[in-house]
Amino acid sequence: MTATSAIEKNSFVLLQLGKRRFGLPAAIVTELAPPVKLHVFAHETPMVAGVIVRRGRIIPVYDVTPILAGKKLPDRRFFLVASRKIDGHDELSAIPVDGECELVSAELFPSPEDSPKYVAGVLAIGEETIEVLDFETLVSTAATVPAMGNGANPSQVGTIA
Amino acid sequence: MSVSAAVDQKGVRRVRVKESAILFTISGYPFAIASSAVHEIRSADSLAGSAMEIEQSGVTKVKHLVHRGNRSYFVVNGCAHFGLKTARPTLVLILRDSPVAILVDKIERMADINAPQPLPLAFEGEERRWYRGLSPTDDVIVPVVNPAGFLTRHELRALEEALHASRAEAHAELSGTVAP
Repeated sequence: MTATSAIEKNSFVLLQLGKRRFGLPAAIVTELAPPVKLHVFAHETPMVAGVIVRRGRIIPVYDVTPILAGKKLPDRRFFLVASRKIDGHDELSAIPVDGECELVSAELFPSPEDSPKYVAGVLAIGEETIEVLDFETLVSTAATVPAMGNGANPSQVGTIA
Repeated sequence: MSVSAAVDQKGVRRVRVKESAILFTISGYPFAIASSAVHEIRSADSLAGSAMEIEQSGVTKVKHLVHRGNRSYFVVNGCAHFGLKTARPTLVLILRDSPVAILVDKIERMADINAPQPLPLAFEGEERRWYRGLSPTDDVIVPVVNPAGFLTRHELRALEEALHASRAEAHAELSGTVAP
């Protein structure tokens, strides 16, 4: 392992959701998008809240807040954009976050046995233990969560900022 | 369809393909459909007199058949099709190349929209059949519906069979009345 890849492996983006912080491997994070308009339309895919547009690209937004923070999407939110592989193709996806994110370097420890499947491991930052998310598993977890598009109030089609 | 070219801030020439579309809403949600796919727009009330009820087809989103000229169209309830809250549709979009008419709430306007971009792979439900893609139009991303996506071949067959059965029943009843 080269020094660069070792640093990448130990780099994580910490994001805030409600009162909790979670980590995502920095290697998959593309950007933290400002509060932009969430476009909502009719669809059936569980957990997808809608799409945002960044640099001319249409990016699906997964509403992971009910799973991670036990609440609905906040009115004001940033979007953390990360890449994932779907059917062999790389695609950008976003999750709403509550505020600024932080880049940290830390060692990833195995997660406790009773952790949800979407937890890839934990970081020890100061006295805080932070769960690192397995993005793929997280966004596929919520088959039981109803689609946001059809259930959401269409009046939320508009500027959220 | 029209093609326009623009030079962006970096001096790169970009070609934009546009197409004429009808923007409409169902249950408050925005949709677009290519104008070329729509034969006629009628008020739902104006078709009420000529609508024939279809029973027990198993296709719950279709309750009626309407005749226009020498063609028949299955009337698809847009709310039921897209899984939206029931609204009060006031208009019917009669499609050009399929025996389908769609009940919608409201026509917003006609517009030249950007050619749709493919639906992101994250969308994995029925919407992949419903839509041709997403079009950034003004400041809204609007799904562009696939005119062939309203009824599957299986649903069309079920509707035609139900129609045939109900016609046969009506014919039998009529024969019974007339017969001595």
